[in-house]
Amino acid sequence: MDYLLHILILIGIYLIAAASLNFVAGYTGLLSVAHAAFYGVGAYIAALMALKLGAPFWLSLPCATAMAAMLAAVVAIPALRVHDDYFVIATFCLQVIATSVMNNWIDVTGGPLGLPGIPHPTLFGVSLSAHWQMALLVWAIAGLSLWLLHRLVSAPFGRVLKAIREDEVFTRSLGKNVVKYKVLAFVIGAAFAAVSGSLYAVYMTYIDPTSFTVHESIFMLAIVIVGGAGNLWGSVAGAAVLVALPELLRFVGLPSAIAANVRQMLYGASLVGMMLWRPQGLLGKYRLD
Amino acid sequence: MQFLVNGLIAGSTYALIAISFALIYFPTRFFHFAHGAVFAWGAYFGYISVVMLKMPLWVALPLAVGMTAMLGAGLEVGIYRPLRRRRATGLVLLLASLGLYVVLQNLISLLFGDETKSLRAGEIVEGIALFGSRITPIQLWIIFASFASFASVWAILKFTKFGKSLRAVASDPELALVHGVDSDRVILGAFTLGSGLAGLAAILVALDVDMTPTMGLNALMMGVVAMIVGGVGSVHGILIGGLLLGLAQHLGVWKIGSEWQDAIAFAILLMFVLFRPHGIMGRPTRKTVV
Repeated sequence: MDYLLHILILIGIYLIAAASLNFVAGYTGLLSVAHAAFYGVGAYIAALMALKLGAPFWLSLPCATAMAAMLAAVVAIPALRVHDDYFVIATFCLQVIATSVMNNWIDVTGGPLGLPGIPHPTLFGVSLSAHWQMALLVWAIAGLSLWLLHRLVSAPFGRVLKAIREDEVFTRSLGKNVVKYKVLAFVIGAAFAAVSGSLYAVYMTYIDPTSFTVHESIFMLAIVIVGGAGNLWGSVAGAAVLVALPELLRFVGLPSAIAANVRQMLYGASLVGMMLWRPQGLLGKYRLD
Repeated sequence: MQFLVNGLIAGSTYALIAISFALIYFPTRFFHFAHGAVFAWGAYFGYISVVMLKMPLWVALPLAVGMTAMLGAGLEVGIYRPLRRRRATGLVLLLASLGLYVVLQNLISLLFGDETKSLRAGEIVEGIALFGSRITPIQLWIIFASFASFASVWAILKFTKFGKSLRAVASDPELALVHGVDSDRVILGAFTLGSGLAGLAAILVALDVDMTPTMGLNALMMGVVAMIVGGVGSVHGILIGGLLLGLAQHLGVWKIGSEWQDAIAFAILLMFVLFRPHGIMGRPTRKTVV
């Protein structure tokens, strides 16, 4: 039972990360491969606030979100000056740097050894250490995030984002400040990624840089693409499929060392397969061309 | 002075990686991320032929380079060409190549394990003293081989029919088609040549600093930074970009510390993206206009 709840919690965490990446990549058309960096910033700030300051989760969560949003605003301004594949490269470099800081700033992040012993969140004096309690917390926050993102994309604000995705020059000619909207979309996406990262930190109680590498970013992108870019429900389906499906490998009896590689190969292959046969994803309508 | 020598070694391999990547980027206009994994496979093909099959280096090297070239050509024929037929955009191709990168890199981990593998045999040779710094014979060979291959790529692009058609497809695919240039064949040639060069660069790098399955990611990043700094579309710009990056990095290692190598490369890229997005020698294009 705990095993099923564990998968459910992971789906919830990835759901927030993927839905927010969908907001950036699927709705606004900014294909970022630095999402795991913001997810990691959220995780590290939540973990550090709990470990060093003893801050409760309801305080560290908004702080982590705000910090990631500020960081995103700082990096978005240079990164958004370039377009298309240059933007992908800029975010790719950003991701590599973020991982390198997590690995090398040993005084703060613990380097490759990571940060162990992060306390579980407490709510009204009750420590949420049981799996069902964490599952409730994660899914409550996931539901709230999805609702917020849904409100954003159906508002006039979201319509401008979609317009930018379709034709940036035309959107500008309608008098919209394209750069402002793009920076806002990027910042909002990073903020939700940090929410998801904080949940990951307090659920796993241990974090290290390997959970926030470019592979993680590509995994999130694979969820968005497989589910369908530009459709939030697609990201729900994508997270469920790509998180749960590799778990089947456990039942085939593969040794865990091999299973980790096979799992990664599965999602890489799903990305290639989707591009070849269904570029709009499982539930998407918008084709990436 | 040691940083100059180290920078020159790193810079010459960066330039070679950058030109191998740029050869594919010029005519196809998409970021072939899987090139990083092809690069890593080059080193492991070298490992198979030198260490596992115990071939002499003069047989092993062409064999490994040929295998890498075939791997790259296989990706083009098997994945990218069908996608282009469907009029997929650069972003679709890029996403597919991200997926391919993950598949190919994990295949290495699966087959060879994650630990560091070495091509070097025998004891470590002491370096030769040169202008107050030390350089090993292998490192001299690396510099020589990088410059020689770089020069031959330049000659191929400049003087052969293939080079001319490649430049034609790169500058205007439709006009090239009108003039009877078969772009599929040119692109296949670019993938073969570019991947073969990546294999060569990988073996040179592996001879100096050994190999791991994830070596391709870093190499790819340095190649791309060198290409953008030098200027997309300019061959000597790429050489300058690679050498500049290598020297700047090793100056940084000397002054700050080796763990910040990646950060230095990124800072250089960031400055170029901010102030001169088309690089030292390139011309502005739509994607780089601020």
